[in-house]
Amino acid sequence: MSRFRWPVGGVGVIGVALLAALVLAGVFAPWIAPYRPDETTGSPFSPPSRAHLLGTNDVGQDLLSELIFGVRISLTIGFLAAAVSISIGTLVGVVAGYFGGWVDAVLMRLVDVILVVPFLPLMILLAAYLGPSFWNIILVIGILVWARPARVIRAQVLSLKSLDFVDAARALGVSSGRILRRHVLPGVLSLSLAQFILAAGTAILIEASLSFLGLGDPTAKSWGSTLYYAQVRSAFLSGAWKWWVLPPGLLITAAVLGFAFTGFALEEILNPRLRR
Amino acid sequence: MARFFAGKGVQYALVLLFAVTLNFLLPRLMPGSPLVFLAGEDVGFMTAAQRAQLTEAFGLDRPLWRQYGIYLAGLARGDLGHSVQQGRPVAEIILGRVGWTLMLVGISLVLATLMGVAWGTAAAWRRGRPLDVGSLGAAMLLHSTPSFWLGMIFIAVFAAGMRLFPVFGAMTPGAGLHGWAQAANVAWHLALPLATLTLITIPDMFLIMRYSMLGVLGEQYIATARSKGVGERGVMFRHAMRNALLPVSTVFMLNLGYIVSGATVIETVFSYPGIGRLLFEAVLARDYPVLQGSFFVITVSVIAANIAADLLYPLLDPRVRYAR
Repeated sequence: MSRFRWPVGGVGVIGVALLAALVLAGVFAPWIAPYRPDETTGSPFSPPSRAHLLGTNDVGQDLLSELIFGVRISLTIGFLAAAVSISIGTLVGVVAGYFGGWVDAVLMRLVDVILVVPFLPLMILLAAYLGPSFWNIILVIGILVWARPARVIRAQVLSLKSLDFVDAARALGVSSGRILRRHVLPGVLSLSLAQFILAAGTAILIEASLSFLGLGDPTAKSWGSTLYYAQVRSAFLSGAWKWWVLPPGLLITAAVLGFAFTGFALEEILNPRLRR
Repeated sequence: MARFFAGKGVQYALVLLFAVTLNFLLPRLMPGSPLVFLAGEDVGFMTAAQRAQLTEAFGLDRPLWRQYGIYLAGLARGDLGHSVQQGRPVAEIILGRVGWTLMLVGISLVLATLMGVAWGTAAAWRRGRPLDVGSLGAAMLLHSTPSFWLGMIFIAVFAAGMRLFPVFGAMTPGAGLHGWAQAANVAWHLALPLATLTLITIPDMFLIMRYSMLGVLGEQYIATARSKGVGERGVMFRHAMRNALLPVSTVFMLNLGYIVSGATVIETVFSYPGIGRLLFEAVLARDYPVLQGSFFVITVSVIAANIAADLLYPLLDPRVRYAR
């Protein structure tokens, strides 16, 4: 129909390649990074040199090593927060879609409420009360990002529910629990996977914002934390922005883009209705 | 129509209830004395009499539902508590800040919508051509960029580097400017934060406009318009674009929370004295009443903007007006 087909494969390959590179860097961080990220190995605020390719931070730690180890923190938080939110989202979406009626009405009202509340101010409020820690960040992101996936999954369940084999199972007297487990959930899981990938990208972006505002885990520096210290030490007012501000932002963008491309490609492959 | 608004009205009421209840419960459910959160961290330095007086004022010795009543009554009088750090009423502090945020978010919302709509229309019109594919790529890239980082880069390049714009603030302090000179000074300070916020908001508007436009272009009335001899320009603007705009207004509303969130971090980067920066300062100072008050006011503003958009929607879509 159209002269041009959006190169799904191409986009997906770029996404997967970006993610693979980052995951490998994270896994092999101790071997790739020239120093330990928490070690003072140079004088503070050093510009790039042969010993420190991206210079050092305000306490003389190697910035390149900090970024390579930061891959672990940022990706782990992204994955775990996405896992929390997709678990909640899938549960809510399946229950609301399958049971319908007042259960659906109540749950979808909740989704609408969560979607209207300005999420970052709410997360800042929660994170400030809970205190900055690795698990609190994951919890705060996880319990607020599930609303959108829940909506998508509910729509899928609604269309699955109207299919003949579900009707047949019900007519045969199969219990709701079994229908959900054997017939509905398998049809939803692939969609959940795509939503999980997209949510992981969102989670990394949110984690970066929270860490940038000083609400990240002070003992485990993510890319957002690196930018927080760069901001507090006014690195962007001097030439230091080229090696202190630019690289972490590019890494965040690459990770989020990697997740978005992979997620969209997956969605296109798994959801035939999106194909033309 | 009435049912439509009743449904929406219930939803907004629930959002408000959620925000108020969360604000009420958070300090009281946290481990330790709620006084730490309500009155500041120096509870240990207070005399027993002072502590008793504060406990009395917040009604902390009464059952939870009574405390809730006291809290709601205070809120109804516009009492958002006292700032721990500044010793001033929170409502007063916020009132001095909220104007800057409204200006920043309002202007950027209008600009981003106009640009996103124009860009999305152009891309859909040339579907699959280099312009369209390139635009999609650019939009995705921009969408994945952390807004605060973009702001930091802008400051480094345009403010600190080229010295074209100021590095921080909303106007030059103590310059004694009036009238047009002051307006120009404010606009000069606004330029970079506005550009940052607008740039990160455009991709959403672009993506939804392009998608909606593609849908409309497949409709039969577009073929009809073409076959009766309407020019391409006429088809694009009069027939396609007007109808494709409807979903954009819905996304516009859904994105308000997102834009306000973007403004929070961008104000922080630019030390722009809006309510988002206030939120950040409150986090640094552990000033919980200010934190809660800011969250409350931001939520109320988002609800108000939603209601305004709901009221404007029938002007855009006549079908809503007639289908009572």
